Parts: sequence; C-alpha cells; structure tokens
Amino acid sequence: MKNTFLARNPSVLVFILLLAVITLLATVFSEAYGSGLLPTNYVKILGKTLCLCLIAIAMDLVWGYCGILSLGHFAFFGLGGYMIGMWLMYARTEDIVIASMTNAALPPTPDEVRDAIGTQIFGVVGGSDVPLVWSFAHSLPIQLALVVAVPGLLALVFGWLAFRSRVTGVYLSILTQAMTLALSLYLFQNDSGLRGNNGLSGLQNIPGLTDTPQSVLSIWFMWGSALALGLGYIFAAWMVSGKFGNVVKAIRDDEARIRFLGYSVEAYKLFIFTVTAVIAAIAGAIYYPQAGIVNPAEIAPIASIYLAVWVAIGGRGRLYGAVIGAALVSLLSSWFTGGQAPDLPLGFYTVKWVDWWQVLLGLSFVLVTLFAPRGIAGMFDRLFRKDAA
Amino acid sequence: MSALLEVLGVSVTFDGFRAINDLSFSIQPAELRAIIGPNGAGKTTFMDIVTGKTRPDSGRVQFGTPPIDLLRLRESDIAKIGIGRKFQRPTVFEAQTVFDNLSMALKNERSPFAALGYKAGKPDVERIEEIASEIGLAEQLQRLSGELSHGQKQWLEIGMLLAQDPQLLLVDEPAAGMTLGEREHTTDLLVRTAKTRAVIVVEHDMEFVRRLDCPVTVLHEGSVLAEGSLDHVTANPQVIEVYLGR
Repeated sequence: MKNTFLARNPSVLVFILLLAVITLLATVFSEAYGSGLLPTNYVKILGKTLCLCLIAIAMDLVWGYCGILSLGHFAFFGLGGYMIGMWLMYARTEDIVIASMTNAALPPTPDEVRDAIGTQIFGVVGGSDVPLVWSFAHSLPIQLALVVAVPGLLALVFGWLAFRSRVTGVYLSILTQAMTLALSLYLFQNDSGLRGNNGLSGLQNIPGLTDTPQSVLSIWFMWGSALALGLGYIFAAWMVSGKFGNVVKAIRDDEARIRFLGYSVEAYKLFIFTVTAVIAAIAGAIYYPQAGIVNPAEIAPIASIYLAVWVAIGGRGRLYGAVIGAALVSLLSSWFTGGQAPDLPLGFYTVKWVDWWQVLLGLSFVLVTLFAPRGIAGMFDRLFRKDAA
Repeated sequence: MSALLEVLGVSVTFDGFRAINDLSFSIQPAELRAIIGPNGAGKTTFMDIVTGKTRPDSGRVQFGTPPIDLLRLRESDIAKIGIGRKFQRPTVFEAQTVFDNLSMALKNERSPFAALGYKAGKPDVERIEEIASEIGLAEQLQRLSGELSHGQKQWLEIGMLLAQDPQLLLVDEPAAGMTLGEREHTTDLLVRTAKTRAVIVVEHDMEFVRRLDCPVTVLHEGSVLAEGSLDHVTANPQVIEVYLGR
C-alpha cells in the first residue's frame, strides 16, 4: 500500500503548480517586472484573494472537516491585520516625525518624538498619548509574534469555555457571532486605543521601503501571499490526511461515538479551533498591508458569514473546494460591486449589479445548498474521483 | 479475586420515571455475563451509566483494582481506562475506510498531538490485519465502511471494540441483523474474548443467550429480578410473569 504524503494528497501537487503558474504569470505581466499589462491594482486584488483563500482553508478545516460552524473566524483575520498594522503605522509615523525634527536646533528627546507620534496617530480620535496597547508597536518582531499570540490566545480562551461546556451546533455559531460582534463594537470605540471607526490606515506604505514603488511592493506581497497559501495548503493537507484528520472527521460525523473510543472531543476541537484562528490571523496580517486599511467594519459579523458561504459554495470537506469558493466568490464580488460589470437593461427595469450582486450570491448559495451540497468541489469529485466521501 | 466492576445501589430518574432503581451488580475480571429483560427494564441505561453517558442520582460505580470511581470520570476517560462499548445500532464512521475505523480504535495515545505525529507502524498494521481476519473483513480493509452490509458493520464495531483492548466489554445486541452462521461466529468470539476479560452482553434473543452458555442477570423495572444460569432464571415464576405478562 503506497502511503506517502503526496499519494494521499494528489491535489497538493496540482495546487502548488497552479499557484506558481498564476503568480509567475501575474509577475510577467506586472508593471514592475514585466510588460505592464496587469495594473498594480489588479496585482493587489490577486494578492488579497490569495489571503482570502488561506482563511477559507482555515474555515474548511474547522467547519468542513471538524463540523464546527464557526461564524467568527474573520475576527481573527482582522485582529492579525490590527497587530501588523500597529507596527506599520507606528514605525512609519516615527520615521516621518524624526525626519521633520532633524531641522530643529536641538535634537528631539525620545519623549518629544513619542508625543509627536501620539499626536499624529491619535489626533483623529482626540488623543495625543500613545495608549498602553501600543507599547510594543515600535518592534516588528514583537508585533509579528502578537499576530499569532493575540488571536491564538483569544481562540484558546473562547474555545476552552465553549467546548468545555459542550456548546455545539447552532448555539456555538451564535456564540462565535457574538464574539466577533463584541470585538467589532469594542474596536469602534474611540478609547479602545485603536483609533475607533477610523481603524489603522496607510498600511500599504512599508516603513523603510518608502522609496520602493507600490508596483514593486504589490508583487512582493503577492508572492508572500502565494507562499503563505501554499504552505497553508500543505499544512492543512498534512493535518487532515493522517490519523488526526480521521479523528476530526469522526467528531464531525458522530461526536458521541468517538468519545466512547476514548478520544477527548473537547481537546481536539480546541486544538483545531485555535490552530485555524492562527492561520486566519496570519492571512489577515498579509492581507491588510495590501488593502491599506483595517477598521472595525472588517470584522462585522457578516464578514464571517460570507466566509462560510465561500466554503459552502466551493465545497466543504475538500481543501481545494474552499480555495475555489473563496477565489471565485471574492473575485466575482469585486467585479460586480466594483462597477465593472455592465448593467443589464431589461427595458422596464435596469439591473444594477452593485445592488443585485447580493441577491445573486444569496440565490447561488441556496441553489448550491439544495442541488450540490458538496459545492463546486463535489462536481469535481464526480468527474475525477471514485471514492467521493 | 475482587470484582472488576462493582455497581452499588444505583438509581436514576428521568422526568419522574425511575429507569434504574437501587441496582446492584458486579462482574469478575474474566467473566461472560448476559443481561436480559423486557423493553424498558433499564438495560441500555445501565450501560449508559457505566460508560459515563448518564449520571445516576445516587449509588456507586467502581472499576478495577484499586477501585476507580467511574462517576467522577468523563466518557473519554472511562474508555481510556479500559471499558469498551458496542452500540445496539451499529455506529461506525461510514465516511472512512474499515482500516481507518480500526486504526482509530486501536489502543494508542489519544491526544491531538499524538494523533498528528502518528504513523501506522508494522505492529499496528499487523494487529489491524489480525482483527480484520478475525471479524471476516480482511478483504474489505480499504473499503468505506458505509458500503458494508448491516452484518458487516456489526462485525466492524465488534472489531473496533477488540482493537481498543478493553478490560470490560459492554456489548448491546451483537447478533441483531446477523445470519445464523454469523451468530455462531459471534458467540465463539465472545466466549473466547471472555477468557481474558469481562464481557457483558445485552440481548433480547433467548436462543443467542442459550448459546453463550453463561450466567444470566434478569433486569426488570430498573433492578435485578433474578440471577443464575439461563435454565435457573427461566424457571423463576417472577421471570415468567414479566416475560409472558401473566
């Protein structure tokens, strides 16, 4: 019996190849390194889409494989963005402040610099002090560690409380919605220390790389996103293809039964919930420097519901399904809502896609649920795989 | 020798209905025992209590030497210290292969980290193949267990129970849906298993119980009505009354 990793996961090789081809093609046609056929804006959309595919993989692990319908994973995505955003904003402001003070008669004291940064960043919410949560914002390594630690810890504590009390099904989904809503409402407050509804902005400007044009940065970030997605895909495939994956699927299919085999269902759920939260946070930390801005609206409850819709349309319980769903729906969404889609004149009424896209999305969700419960990947399976399980 | 499982004065009430009423029961480390009784006698509830699914209102349940208080443990911990259960309706993981089902049941470290690092070594593969041939599924190892017949699923679940290598097996209606030949094989397997560990079989089918040829405990309205050989208990007028409803 052949039992190597690639034999068990035939999709990994295809996926990595496709990913490499797409990023290479985008580079070849980019403004910075190629013919310039592909505007920088589109490179950014592609890079962001790759990050969304990564969080969709996380969602598929927790929902498609383990059966936990978390409607709060976008909170971890947003938190990851906030954590990296703090460094981006602080370090860049620090550079600007120091540059503007070099002409002063006396060299500025550290306190003066800090005050100036505080005024720059928090003037918009009527503050001038740097809040306590920004204590480490000057340090990239620490903020990078916080990208993993803060969402990971939140997921660990939340998951421990929820799973220990055996909250399952719809109740767990509601609880995760409450979590992301509470977090979003908290961040909306001006005194949360994270600039209220303004969020963190100017994140596309990378400190120390101010002379590098966006066309170049966008390519770097796209490659970074592709690397993260590729590694995430391999990691996820490794996780679900071994015995761990079998236990996790068993939890999805019959939680009580696997408990009687001696497995601590709570420990497994907590593990996968936390790991996927960290994956989501990493995806967010790469996404928001490309988006340029992160604000509390990003982690509104609806964002996490969209995430579930992507995975459902793509096909849950299949890693490539999650990727297909996220890529397809988010690209279509930006096409329809970005004003590029031509209006559809019906004579008596003109369909404006900006308004009607939501209806179309909702309709396709209903259709997929009714007629293709395994999503787009399920149709794939019918063509290529015999053991569609 | 002291008892492996000791149930003392256990009672449990569901919405005012006394499912188990001051039940006491014990079994030795290598003993085969059949539990019979009419519907609603509390047979399944008894298993639920031993495996930690249901918490009794009063009484004690102890297991092993030195005795461990089962009422303080979670289901997964009870399974880990050596109590395995086969359900009445065969419950196997239908989306997974026979091999994977057995592999999950196999006695190994159960934590998420252990499962992530797990590689099926030669001893484990051999053990799985051995169990598979014991339960007649050696040729089906790579098939999805959802494709198996009802009888084969019963077998697979018995195989998963053996793979767990428990000290006490609770087997709920193992012969349901089996052909005559399969029943004989099941009887053999249970009798052989009971030479090294304790086996409790809950069964409706008197013919099957007779073939097991072991002591019988009759439950009625949540407590023990009679205990002894099958001939002894079936001669008991109270048992006759319960069963025939005179």
